[in-house]
Amino acid sequence: MSESSAKESPAEKAEAPKFQPKYNWMNKTRSWGMRALPGKAGLKLGDLNMGIYGEIPMHWDDQSRNPRGAVPRRGMPPVGYAIRDKGGLWADCAADLYEEAIQRRWAPATDVPWDSIEPLPDDVEHAVCQVCTELTQYANVDIETITGWQHQMSYGYHEVKQYLATATFDAARHYECFRKRALVNGGGLGLEGPGQVNRMILESRGGWTEAVVYLFLVRGVFTMTLYRYLGRYAHNDAERFIYGHALADKARHVTYALDHLKFALAHVEDQQLVTATLLAIGDNGLARDLRDPVLKEALAIIFGGGIDGARQQGMEVYHALMRDYVDTHLAYCRWLDIPRNPAALPPPLNEYVDAPADV
Amino acid sequence: MSEAVDTANDYELDLGWMDRTGPWNTQASQGKNGLTLADIQIGEYGDPPVESDNQTGRPRGAASRDSTYRIGAYAVRSKSEIWLDNASFLYEEALQRQWSSATDVPWHTIEPLPDDVEQAECQLATFLTEVEFVAGDVPARWVSLTTPDFLEPRQVLLAQVMDESRHMDVFRKRALANGGGLMQATGATSGFVGSIDLSRDFTEMSSRLHVSGEGAVLTLFRMGELMAQNEAEKVIYRLCAQDEARHVAFGVMHMRYMSEAAPERREEIHCYLDEAEGGLIGAANPVGQLTPTSESMAIILGGGKENFDDGMNKIIAIRQRQLREYKKRVVSAGFGDRFESGRSKVDEMIERAAA
Repeated sequence: MSESSAKESPAEKAEAPKFQPKYNWMNKTRSWGMRALPGKAGLKLGDLNMGIYGEIPMHWDDQSRNPRGAVPRRGMPPVGYAIRDKGGLWADCAADLYEEAIQRRWAPATDVPWDSIEPLPDDVEHAVCQVCTELTQYANVDIETITGWQHQMSYGYHEVKQYLATATFDAARHYECFRKRALVNGGGLGLEGPGQVNRMILESRGGWTEAVVYLFLVRGVFTMTLYRYLGRYAHNDAERFIYGHALADKARHVTYALDHLKFALAHVEDQQLVTATLLAIGDNGLARDLRDPVLKEALAIIFGGGIDGARQQGMEVYHALMRDYVDTHLAYCRWLDIPRNPAALPPPLNEYVDAPADV
Repeated sequence: MSEAVDTANDYELDLGWMDRTGPWNTQASQGKNGLTLADIQIGEYGDPPVESDNQTGRPRGAASRDSTYRIGAYAVRSKSEIWLDNASFLYEEALQRQWSSATDVPWHTIEPLPDDVEQAECQLATFLTEVEFVAGDVPARWVSLTTPDFLEPRQVLLAQVMDESRHMDVFRKRALANGGGLMQATGATSGFVGSIDLSRDFTEMSSRLHVSGEGAVLTLFRMGELMAQNEAEKVIYRLCAQDEARHVAFGVMHMRYMSEAAPERREEIHCYLDEAEGGLIGAANPVGQLTPTSESMAIILGGGKENFDDGMNKIIAIRQRQLREYKKRVVSAGFGDRFESGRSKVDEMIERAAA
């Protein structure tokens, strides 16, 4: 005991601090004194991007989980993020899409008016169940692809990671509600899809941008078109609700994709031609899947009101759907300034080039 | 209409697919909570395989076709590795209890705080943002490795990724909403918490992430009433605790299932828990040792630097509660024998904390 402490009175001893804080973390900040204020839509993720907190570098060296704008701690072992370039994932709209996805959340269990589903003719119920089976698989690929990439994205670009968390949650909801629809009306699940596009998407090893091309610009736009037509030919309010809400979710996914691709094309060398090549591969994958008659026939039965109507009217609507898809897909490519030769599309896609949708 | 597409003639339909379906005449009925995931677990559709051979990603119960490409390469294919009995319930609850950090938190109730308290709030928020990063990244990776035959637990994990995304967002918002800013990263996610990343097995990951890691954070969030300086912070802690409780429940229920379905793995799980218990008093735990995070919490709980000791005394009480709650969870998961046999040091830790 030191002499000075030995001289302390009992009362002074009782007041001596029990703990010895270092406070060596205090005042360690890169920016202090700014206040993010809520707007009329609350305090949004984008509202935080002020001053240094809104500086989003083209390359993010930090391999730790250092939040963007925080003072980094030296000596942290790297976590091992593969995607550290802004060009590999960024989209300016990600923060807004994140908040929009949260505001537009829905719960299939309670928001879908399941009571509105009435028994359908057996052929139509078969067709609905078959389409729901394939849409469930599409949602599965959304889930497995995005979750396979999320943890590889560095935190310098947290807005994108956060938006993608909503996208996988959307996909989980789609997976759930199409399964529910198949099992609720005396039917069941149908035959699994051919899966060539599924494999192509999951095998996107060239980077997240490649996955975005296949998952959203090819499969996503196709799925969005399916939802639009299925909503139009829905048999009841439950189906209308499901397709309408799934369409709104999917529109966000495609919006992210277009914004990201626009950014990547502008900032990543050779990305324009790489994307054109990827799309040529993607078209071939989709064309192979489309040559399988199952989805086409199931859709035609729904659009034609049964097997009899499928052969003529149902197929006409199916062709209109395909024209719409090709038209929309090529329009997005033009907007992105990706060189495409529509005449070189593989069959059956080339059959739908330059034809206006009239149904 | 395109000339290229010939619609003049009736299309020849094959229709062979109509005979190739999963079990037919299925009629799921909704209950008072709507049509839940549990409501469609009927017949063969509700019966996940003990070992999944699904390599094509087909929905459980759908008819398979021989020509479909194999896309799976799923690492998690045994039911005992990931299953829990109440996954459907947890998923539906997660959907019903989603919230928005932008509009459900009364941000206007935040008033300027003394500088030491604001710095402490911002340090804690910086730490929590980092922790939530882990809790979002890791479950996502495991979803991509799990066969869709175990769709129910996968759905819960996807809800968790969404929850964690919201948590990292809300703590970043808190750090920047009151004239402060982010502080220094703690690096806590590279140590014990970081080992969650390194797990080579789902149950190993879940025992670290859900049971010990998130369990510790849950105790903290439940102390929100003590820590909060305003209504906004109270709401943040309350809503985060609600989400976190689901994640912890997932881990506990999965461990319980695993313990019963694969008793040969009990010793291995005990080893994970041995390791996790060491972490409960380590630097990664904000109420573990005298770290930047525990110092900042002491300032918050004491109401300023001048009351640091009061704050630390409250931290010690929280640490005790954290340990007791951890013990309860492990007992509930079916591993209570570690406390009876003296293998676990948690009782000693509780006593030491009290001393």
